[in-house]
Amino acid sequence: MAYSDKVVDHFNNPRNMGSFKKDEEGIGTGMVGAPECGDVMKLQIKVQNDTIVDAKFKTFGCGSAIASSSLATEWLKGKTIEEAQQIKNTDIVQELNLPPVKIHCSVLAEDAIKAALADYQKKVGDKTEAAT
Amino acid sequence: MPVLSEQVEFRMAHHTHTSGSRDIQMARSMCWHCQSEMSGEYFCERCVKVQPVSKETDYFTCFGLPRRLTIDQSKLEAKFYELSRAFHPDFYQNKSEAEQTISLGNAATLNTAYRTLRDPIQRAEYLLDLEAGSVKEIRTSPPSDLFEEILELQETMEAYRASDRASQAGHELRAQLIAEQEALERRKRDMEQQLQRLFTDWDTLQDRGDAGAQARAERDRLLKHMRDILSNRTYVKNIVNDLVATIG
Repeated sequence: MAYSDKVVDHFNNPRNMGSFKKDEEGIGTGMVGAPECGDVMKLQIKVQNDTIVDAKFKTFGCGSAIASSSLATEWLKGKTIEEAQQIKNTDIVQELNLPPVKIHCSVLAEDAIKAALADYQKKVGDKTEAAT
Repeated sequence: MPVLSEQVEFRMAHHTHTSGSRDIQMARSMCWHCQSEMSGEYFCERCVKVQPVSKETDYFTCFGLPRRLTIDQSKLEAKFYELSRAFHPDFYQNKSEAEQTISLGNAATLNTAYRTLRDPIQRAEYLLDLEAGSVKEIRTSPPSDLFEEILELQETMEAYRASDRASQAGHELRAQLIAEQEALERRKRDMEQQLQRLFTDWDTLQDRGDAGAQARAERDRLLKHMRDILSNRTYVKNIVNDLVATIG
């Protein structure tokens, strides 16, 4: 099976690979895995004033999983939390031209985004709670 | 799954277990050829025509085995060879096209079934899907410690690939990766042993056929535990494969 040009591009030049310190202020971390294929994805967002100013990822998996998470970090940058919630795996499938057998990679990326957002919101919530 | 059907299923499985593989109680309809009610296993008893394996027939039933995590391997093998002979294309050369298609389809299904049941892990994944729906439906909490470890290890591998293999740094990275590989393989073996114990517990519980609340809770607990270990094992297996490929 041949990968699309966009997948190959993200695979060869992954955007925003790396990580932030988990406990730093404004960082949300999403850690997800696909038990069926054994892929692991870590996606982090850096939030300032409700806007995602930076995003990073690390992925252990196939080319499509790497491309999906790389693309996700690109899309996340500059979005508000609410806008980021709207990103769907189908958008990723479309952009990367993923074949049916690789759709679960995009699902994993969406899960990672959701998990990172939830983690950020939980951290903010905990802090507000502690302050009151 | 409602409690009642669970009980019925249990009795059926138990029945096939005790009465041998020859007279499996399969939900069969009619013979495609003579339309008489089907009573045979893979061949109509009236017109002797080969019958297609129904899509609803699970792999265990195909081989007349009880739906359990621990199975009699020699029985599985013997039955597989017996059926492979029965559906061998050589015996269908002079038969109708319909019979050729059916026997070929059966042979393919039984091959997949045999490969799945032969491997204890694949067998477990298959049976758990049968008993409790797809793995995806039970969301297990991701083992973040293991994930961190995997991602870190991946970086070490990256560094090793980029390093000069003959240099001191290259040697050190290689030694580190070899040690990691051994540790992970030990962990994989531990997981498999743990699974083996859980398989026995699960089978014992199924054999009891108790549908009470306590048994159900125990069943759910075992199911989740097995799922967790099975998926963690997949992660470990993948990273070990990658390590092996990297170290060479």
